[in-house]
Amino acid sequence: MGPFIEVLIAGLMAGVLYSLVALGFVLIFKASGVFNFAQGAMVLFAALSFVRLMEFLQNTFAPILLSLAITIVIMIVLALLVERLVLRPLVNQPPISLFMATLGIAYFLDGLGQSIWGSDIYTLDVGIPKEPLLLFESVFEDGILVSSEDLVAALVAGVLVAGLAVFFQRTRIGRALRAVADDHQAAQSVGIPLNYIWVIVWTVAGLVALVAGIIWGSKLGVQFSLSLIALKALPVLILGGFESVLGAIIGGLIIGAGEKLSETYLGPLIGGGIEYWFAYVLALAFLLFRPQGLFGEVHIDRV
Amino acid sequence: MTQPAVGAVTTETFPKLLLEHARVRGDKVAIREKDLGIWQSWTWKQAADEVRWLACGLAARGFKRGMNLAIIGDNRPRLYWSFAAAQSIGAVPVPLYQDAIAQEMQYVLDNAEIEVAIVEDQEQVDKLLELLPQCPRLKLIVYDDPRGMRHYTQPQLLPYGELRDIGREYDEAHPDFYPTELMAGKPDDVSVILYTSGTTSRPKGVCMTHRAFIDAARGDVGFDGFDDSDEILSYLPMAWVGDHLFSYGQALVAGFTVNCPESSDTVMTDLCEIGPTYYFAPPRVFENLLTQVMIRMEDASRLKRWLFDKFMAVARRCGAEIMDGKPVGPVNRILYSLGDVMVYGPLRNNLGMSRIRVAYTGGAAIGPDLYRFYRSLGINLKQLYGQTETAAYVCKQPNGESRLDTVGTPLPGVEIKIADKGEILVKSPGMLKEYYKAPEATAETITAEGYFRTGDAGFLDSDGHLKIIDRAKDVGKLNDGTMFAPQFLENKLKFFQFIKEAVCFGDGRDRVCAFLNIEMQAVGNWAERNGLPYTGYVDLAGKPEVYALLQECVDKVNADLAREESLAGSQIRRFLVLHKELDADDDELTRTRKVRRGYVAEKYAPLVDALYGGADHCEIETQVKFEDGRSGVIAADVKIRDVELVPPAEHRKAA
Amino acid sequence: MEHSRSLGEPILSMDEISLSFGGVNALSNVSLHVREHEILAIIGPNGAGKSSLLNVINGVYHPSKGTVTFKGATRAQMRPHEAASQGIARTFQNIALFKGMTVLDNIMTGRTLKMRAGFFWQCIYVGKARNEEIEHRHKVEEIIDFLQIQSIRKTPVGRLPYGLQKRVELGRALAAEPDLLLLDEPMAGMNIEEKEDMSRFVLDVNDEFGTTIVLIEHDMGVVMDLSDRVIVLDYGRKIGDGTPDEIRSNQDVIDAYLGVTH
Repeated sequence: MGPFIEVLIAGLMAGVLYSLVALGFVLIFKASGVFNFAQGAMVLFAALSFVRLMEFLQNTFAPILLSLAITIVIMIVLALLVERLVLRPLVNQPPISLFMATLGIAYFLDGLGQSIWGSDIYTLDVGIPKEPLLLFESVFEDGILVSSEDLVAALVAGVLVAGLAVFFQRTRIGRALRAVADDHQAAQSVGIPLNYIWVIVWTVAGLVALVAGIIWGSKLGVQFSLSLIALKALPVLILGGFESVLGAIIGGLIIGAGEKLSETYLGPLIGGGIEYWFAYVLALAFLLFRPQGLFGEVHIDRV
Repeated sequence: MTQPAVGAVTTETFPKLLLEHARVRGDKVAIREKDLGIWQSWTWKQAADEVRWLACGLAARGFKRGMNLAIIGDNRPRLYWSFAAAQSIGAVPVPLYQDAIAQEMQYVLDNAEIEVAIVEDQEQVDKLLELLPQCPRLKLIVYDDPRGMRHYTQPQLLPYGELRDIGREYDEAHPDFYPTELMAGKPDDVSVILYTSGTTSRPKGVCMTHRAFIDAARGDVGFDGFDDSDEILSYLPMAWVGDHLFSYGQALVAGFTVNCPESSDTVMTDLCEIGPTYYFAPPRVFENLLTQVMIRMEDASRLKRWLFDKFMAVARRCGAEIMDGKPVGPVNRILYSLGDVMVYGPLRNNLGMSRIRVAYTGGAAIGPDLYRFYRSLGINLKQLYGQTETAAYVCKQPNGESRLDTVGTPLPGVEIKIADKGEILVKSPGMLKEYYKAPEATAETITAEGYFRTGDAGFLDSDGHLKIIDRAKDVGKLNDGTMFAPQFLENKLKFFQFIKEAVCFGDGRDRVCAFLNIEMQAVGNWAERNGLPYTGYVDLAGKPEVYALLQECVDKVNADLAREESLAGSQIRRFLVLHKELDADDDELTRTRKVRRGYVAEKYAPLVDALYGGADHCEIETQVKFEDGRSGVIAADVKIRDVELVPPAEHRKAA
Repeated sequence: MEHSRSLGEPILSMDEISLSFGGVNALSNVSLHVREHEILAIIGPNGAGKSSLLNVINGVYHPSKGTVTFKGATRAQMRPHEAASQGIARTFQNIALFKGMTVLDNIMTGRTLKMRAGFFWQCIYVGKARNEEIEHRHKVEEIIDFLQIQSIRKTPVGRLPYGLQKRVELGRALAAEPDLLLLDEPMAGMNIEEKEDMSRFVLDVNDEFGTTIVLIEHDMGVVMDLSDRVIVLDYGRKIGDGTPDEIRSNQDVIDAYLGVTH
């Protein structure tokens, strides 16, 4: 039992990280109905900015906090620019145009990030403890080995998700966001300024990207491949539904746990590497049998 | 901490009971009302003050002892206070059914010589204003809700708030007026006149005394052990004896809290929010609730449906027995407690019945499935029996003795006699004093020995429980002499969720035939699930698939009848599905939704002829009245179905 | 039902408005006044420019020529949420509600502009913002009461029947306590009973709150009963302007519109 739980926990922890990236997608999709292809690029850009700023500021009194603050400002400016330069001119255009625009943003950000901050692999150390922890020694033989890094990540993700849930459900601005997500025209007619909402959503998505970037970055190092984790978020979204914050979390957990468990228990039977395609096969199955995902809304149009 | 019901010394009238509660439990909530989304509440002390000001206000406007006060509207605190206000200055409150149209109100207003009316809102004001030319006596109309009243300038109108202010000033100027008037009230004064709905004739005003109503209420409170910790939701018409007994009589005896729903559409939600401990509903309300549960279950996920079905089967097996404290095996006990956590508890909560100690139904027979359903969920649903003339105080089922086919044992102080033709005669503490201004009717209804003729046919069984068969005058005979109890058959039909109303014919004929009304929601859902397209009520009612569906129901009823020797001959041989919903607005039903069989037979004579003439369809055009008072015509070609007879003897062997 | 009220000064004036889309003239030289407290109906055949006119008032379209004066201020361009902040609320021809939200939340969004706590600082639902929320909730409850939709307060609007959705949409517009209420075919697709209900609500709104109402409607019976004044559009031009009786006897209108069977 012990080893199984160990694998399961490791998988769930990895899943939390997938969820974090997926969350960024969900936010923007909810508010504007656009699949933001640039979310991965935003993760990389945020992480790069953060790690390089930390380097420049390493002799100041609080390099981590300072660079965090500056990166947040950068992400807000980015959101403002995206709204002003991309979204506003494309208002009332079909979603596909907006999707193509986010593709453009993705490439632009990749290029911009690397030309400003450089394209090496940077190690990121924000002081997350790395020693594994041994838990439940009294319950299981040999206890359960948990990476403390993963634990911190899970904690941070949990807090973030709880915060977002409160933000969406309990605040007036959350209600405005949901209103915009439902119907642009109607939202404007009651006086909700669409542009602010977009700025806010992109800012929040940027902050989520920053958190994801820091955690992934300190785990794998900050490098170009970070922007590819967006690809891992896709099956998570398909599983959880594009419009559900909860779906993004559960989807991430399922995929994380599924990957690790199948790798460990099925791997020896069919020859390893399952980790790399498991998520996509699961997503494919979902597309066939439950295309709206676990928590997505089934759209019924009344006539 | 609960306190005992108010003692009997100073409390022989309702206004004195109110004063006593204000003294004993003055800061406890007496009444609540949901308004603008919030539950507002008034303590007994506040309620007593409101009543005092209202009474003084009425007096200041010339309303005096001996006069009658009309009260019309949904259940509102201010209307309940109007009862007490009238009573405290020696006048008599006369509640009217709030959904009656103006013409129907005219008779009561005339008969009761109404000069002052307190009404809920614009809707009721409009009706009374419409009647002003015919009822010149009416000189003051007080309204509670000012909405939409801005441009009304009639001199008769006065907002409730203003009357209350007038009363406050009057009270300050004449501080002795109210106590003197209140103390002048005697227990044998008439406390209320309740008009019967009148299935066949003009409504009759039933005069009840304070003593009769308080005795009846006190009997009930003792029987079920109500106290001031109980809560009730008051949503049934204030003009109906039941509501007057539960929400006014019993509340003032036991001191429990009365809750008024936000509107008639929100009763379900309000029920959930209040979670009453004591609940009354006629069978059709319980049926609506069950139908809604079933519809929601159809839409639920497969897992939930499976859980629901499995655990409801467990509940059917042993739920009622567990509640009645009968022996049940350990396995069923464990399964039931599991079901309680997973299904019954949440379901009760959804129905607003989590806290119910006692629930009653009455007024009509309740379906076995329905009855079993609520009992098995652990809801203590019992039946009661009574009429306006007996303050609804005749029989109740004691705890642990709830049964489907009886209405319980006689309540303390009640005597029951069965006259010839099975008619039930009752002597009750809550008996009427007389019919208002109708001595002949009073003499006809009360026997020389002081018994009230209920007009119901029934008998007391070996356990002392009363069983009702039908209205005494409705029990008829087929030409071959078989007993024909139409209401009994109709109720059996209506137990099916697809059948809303049924009308059976057979007295003085060779065989029994029936009109059926589909239950639009249930049949509509069924049609949608089965991919059966339809354009509307008339179309759906005429579908052969729907006929087949209803035929199954009729077959089941016949199979049931075949089991009872005396009723086997009255099986339904032919039926048709009416193209139009029977409606109180078209006079086909009474306001309490009882079928006017004679009127229906007359109105749809061609259909009746076709049923007995052997035709297999019949074309008919029917006048209908819409809610706004306009009328139109519905035309349809109604099909007729023959039904197989279930042979009695053979079936008994099979069963 | 007869209703009389004092009509005030013009609250909205449109002068020589023209609007074209890619060379097609949706509106040409349309001038009109809407007086305070009146109910003005805009009628005309399909494609006459009725909705375009409403969209110009509401800031969705910017006229290529002409000026719009609202409450004394002549404006150049503005966007819909700015129109909303000046006191113009509207409903849409194809109901535009927030389908996933409850009736209550939908109507609450109508209060957006009445919220004083800064848009960015409302995130924190405490203290002043919380009290304000309660205050707004009270106003919204009054509207719920007014429209008699208490029983569906917590129902997601997507599940409501069409007629009730229309009523909720009216509720959301009312929540903004507008000076000018634009109703784009408020009775389209309703049965007779629903139409009567809606007519009563429109009259009540006008009566109770003194709201000026401009509506587009196809049902002539409703228009003639409801409105104080009727404006007739045909191919983007105004061809009639007067009381319902005047419009009934206006030959141009009869030729262009009323005479044609629909």
